[in-house]
Amino acid sequence: MHPEKQKHTFEPKIIAFVCTWCTYAGADLAGTSRMQYPPNVRVLKFPCTGRIDPVFILKAFQQGADGVLVSGCHPGDCHYIAGNFHARRRFAVFRKLLEFVGVDLNRLQFSWVSAAEGGKWVEVVTDLTEKVRAMGPMTEFRELALEEQWSGAINTPELEEAYNQI
Amino acid sequence: MSRIGVFICHCGENISRTVDVERVAREVGLLPGVAFSTDYKYMCSDPGQNLLKKAIQEQKLSHVVVAACSPRMHERTFRKAVEAAGLNPFLCEMANIREHCSWVHENKEEATVKAVEIVGMMVERVKKNRVLPTITVPVTKRSLVIGGGIAGIQAALDIADAGHEVILVEREPSIGGHMAQLSETFPTLDCSQCIMTPKMVDVANHPKIRLYTYSEIELVEGYIGNFQVTIRKKARSVDEDKCTGCGVCMEKCPIRKIPNKFDCNLGMRPAIYVPFPQAVPNTPVIDRENCTKFKTGKCGLCQKVCGPGAVDYEQEDRLIVEPVGAIVVATGFDLYNITEKPKGSMIKGYGEFGHGKIPDVIDGMTFERLASASGPTGGKILRPSDGKEPKQIVFIQCIGSRAREKGISYCSKVCCMYTAKHTMLYHHKVHDGQAYVFFMDARTPGKAYDEFWRRSIEEEEAVYIRGMVSRLYQKGDKIVVMGSDIAVGVQVEIEADMVVLATAVQPQAGADALAQKLGISYDKYNFYSEAHAKLRPVECATAGIYLAGACQGPKDIPDTVSQASAAAAKVMTLFAKDKLEREPIVARVREAGCVGCFACKKVCAYGAVEEKEIRDRQGNLIKVVAYVNPGVCGGCGTCQATCPSKCVELDGYTDEQIVAMIEAL
Amino acid sequence: MTKSIDTSIYAAVSEAIRAEAQRILSDGTVTAIVGYAAARRKGSAQPIVISSADDAAKLIFTPACVNNLAVYLTKAKKEIPKKGKVGIVVKGCDLKALSGLMGESQLKREDLYLIGVPCAGVLASTVQPATELTSDSIAPKCTECDAQLPGGCDFVPPQAPLTPGQTRKYAAEIARLEALTPAERWAYWKEQFSKCIKCYACRQVCPFCFCEQCLCDRNKPQMVDTTPRPAGNTAWHIVRAMHLAGRCAGCAECERVCPMDIPLNLLNRKMAKELKELYDYEAGFEVNDKGPLNSYTEKDDQSFIK
Repeated sequence: MHPEKQKHTFEPKIIAFVCTWCTYAGADLAGTSRMQYPPNVRVLKFPCTGRIDPVFILKAFQQGADGVLVSGCHPGDCHYIAGNFHARRRFAVFRKLLEFVGVDLNRLQFSWVSAAEGGKWVEVVTDLTEKVRAMGPMTEFRELALEEQWSGAINTPELEEAYNQI
Repeated sequence: MSRIGVFICHCGENISRTVDVERVAREVGLLPGVAFSTDYKYMCSDPGQNLLKKAIQEQKLSHVVVAACSPRMHERTFRKAVEAAGLNPFLCEMANIREHCSWVHENKEEATVKAVEIVGMMVERVKKNRVLPTITVPVTKRSLVIGGGIAGIQAALDIADAGHEVILVEREPSIGGHMAQLSETFPTLDCSQCIMTPKMVDVANHPKIRLYTYSEIELVEGYIGNFQVTIRKKARSVDEDKCTGCGVCMEKCPIRKIPNKFDCNLGMRPAIYVPFPQAVPNTPVIDRENCTKFKTGKCGLCQKVCGPGAVDYEQEDRLIVEPVGAIVVATGFDLYNITEKPKGSMIKGYGEFGHGKIPDVIDGMTFERLASASGPTGGKILRPSDGKEPKQIVFIQCIGSRAREKGISYCSKVCCMYTAKHTMLYHHKVHDGQAYVFFMDARTPGKAYDEFWRRSIEEEEAVYIRGMVSRLYQKGDKIVVMGSDIAVGVQVEIEADMVVLATAVQPQAGADALAQKLGISYDKYNFYSEAHAKLRPVECATAGIYLAGACQGPKDIPDTVSQASAAAAKVMTLFAKDKLEREPIVARVREAGCVGCFACKKVCAYGAVEEKEIRDRQGNLIKVVAYVNPGVCGGCGTCQATCPSKCVELDGYTDEQIVAMIEAL
Repeated sequence: MTKSIDTSIYAAVSEAIRAEAQRILSDGTVTAIVGYAAARRKGSAQPIVISSADDAAKLIFTPACVNNLAVYLTKAKKEIPKKGKVGIVVKGCDLKALSGLMGESQLKREDLYLIGVPCAGVLASTVQPATELTSDSIAPKCTECDAQLPGGCDFVPPQAPLTPGQTRKYAAEIARLEALTPAERWAYWKEQFSKCIKCYACRQVCPFCFCEQCLCDRNKPQMVDTTPRPAGNTAWHIVRAMHLAGRCAGCAECERVCPMDIPLNLLNRKMAKELKELYDYEAGFEVNDKGPLNSYTEKDDQSFIK
């Protein structure tokens, strides 16, 4: 009944920041409806997308996430009146900043998934997982972290000479 | 050092089928801080909860993680259990390994690894959880009821009879709603006005009910137990205190030919009017759009003839602020209008039924007015076009309803029954007439409903044709109805004198705007959403707001009355205590670090952020900082994401907790 | 091609500032004035706070008056006594920062006496203070200036600056970077940020970094890596740019004071450009109740949201 599952060499880490009222409930619905999706996503529950600080996205990438999903209630459906409207502006600007410093925005997905949209949750998570899998690991921040080890790199003749004299 | 207990639930086989729960328990048991981990068949069962309580006491646990279903399902259950064992309930977190793991994955290895990680994340989170004391807020024991139809009236009377004050707000000049328009009601055929008007009078005379008719909700502020509602009392142009309801003004008004909305535009009314003779309050209103005095400045006849001097052309809209503790929304329904496509509506029109251009094609409510003894024809079924009695009448069901291609997929629930009633009323009034009904199928769940429907066929000679109408058109003074009878498999053509369309039940216009003022959610048709379809059918997700009647979905009178009484019971439950306990998920300001930029205040949708002065002992102002009113705070945390120095923190979702989870990845 | 920029009005402007300062200090309108005075090196200028009318003669305005004095009025700078009204000499760019601070409840208009400066531009941080002001030596921010004449001040000398059309240096650089691939942009910024020594001069000089405790100094939790190394530096500069988005007035002080010559204002200009395109927001002289990231409309762009 189930086709043989394809084996992948790279399994991306996807972090999802979701609001509790819509997207978390939508993901619950996907579960109750026994829909299937890749197991790569880890869900962090927030009361509202308005609570999601852009710093968390940065932190997630620094902690080794290969893709980040931010998802909440559709406009007008916010349980807290307007949290998602504030979030929409905040992330519209933040993604432009990340893009400008060279983060590939294909790794950062925003979506509105309502409590009734279990199918959409599956679609969004599956699409992002597949997209990021095809892109390969997010190496940029990882390399930065590694470079810390060699911050005193001897990369000029003068430094080399000075080093040798020690 | 934390001593965390982790409890892995099998959920029967729902989790253990795809997640190796024993391995999860073993692996998370090795995490730093975890003092105890175990798995159990049903954590939410009594023995499961007892296992949890016992472990807390025996193992001296400081925090608890229950890895089971969604926290939306059982967080409350386990937090209660934890509390019973002597721990603060907010030191318990749930890891969702059912909805987000075992149910959505098939590969046991992958699902188990994921489950371990999910639990690991929650273990790191719970370490940062703090003891949160429950917040208590005072409750204003007065209720607002929005809408004066049968739902609002029933809810208002129930709450008022329990001894609590009720503010009843109605948009129209009189209460009564759609039920006051109906002729007779199924399944007993008792006269609607006979059972409705006494209730309207009860409302008017009830010492605990304050009635605002011709009024609308302007603004809703506050929160459960403590709402501040601003009501716009529209200028009636007649002083309600002075008016005796003698009706002389209405008799003398020279403008007489304004279609009366209450009579579905079949009857006429003057420019100063009450919508119907039994109106409550029996105080006229001036329709300023059509009144000569307001249009040209001349006339003023009504003022001259008014003995008590109640007519007041200078009257203006008034804004009244009422503090209430609970709100019942009972704004009711309207019928889908085939004559025009409402602006912005997702519903496509009905060109095949003449778009309302054929005068003798009417909707169900118009037929009610024709059949009503107090209606424009005095209860005679007469054609709007020429006043003749229709000898052949065709009823068509499901106009708009259950028509996905037209934009509405739901069943309007009342049409099958009221059409059966219409055929009976018609048969009682036009003895030599013949009624035909085109229907998809008859839906008659309800006490004595199916018997009623069968009676319309078996005793009252209505001819039911299973099939839909493809087209109808005017031919001379007849309306040709073309349809199919799918039971026999033939095309049917009927030359009718009148056609009645059972148009879909829809929410009132502006239902979405009101929902936005109230902060409650609604579906794509603008019906208001209940908190839970089965278990919380009368509560909104927004605390302190309850639903009654057709504003939540199509309903007949018995269902509406039941729901209204249920909503009233919920309000009374709330009012039974002097103080309300609420979840302590609220924002708090770290005053030492706050620099008073008030970005938090700017983004707060609840107006919960205030400015607070910090003074030294001599009373000198040191600085002004933000202060979050815990009673008003909705708990969204938008302030915290906005605060540049993170000096406002949302309890239960602090940066420490979130960062701990991200770092656990 | 190098074009010289006419700064001949600056002498008359300085004269007018001195006269006004003399007057408002003598008649007690203000208790102190924050302005510019000549510094020791030839042609250089430095901020000065005067509280006596006798010191009014010290005030000058020259192309070397680069500082944004608004920062001295923020809570982060506790040295200035905040008693009574304080006068302050402001260029157009500085005034935008003051307006922003008023919008964020940090300053009150009635506590300030604004002496606006008609400004044709100031020198770049890379040239000597005595250099002649030309299209080459001018500060990059001045090439994009739309605020040579401050509005809404209490006093502005009558001279009008002449401003030749100039190449918009940031706009050109932003366009160049935007045309690169993400990987190339990452490489560019990685190199820039790797120079950072985390001296936080950019934070110290910014009028909007008035927080008592910076998010980036927090350790419970550590939201941002604080090490002066590539990962920490990158995080700092991203957070800094994000926290200034919708607030930055474009005075470019961060970039001026950066000892490692990191093009910090480029990030701020990029954010400003996006806010203009998305929400038609620009920092200006008027005091806004809410900034673009504290407000919303229901019709905001959401083409990026699935």
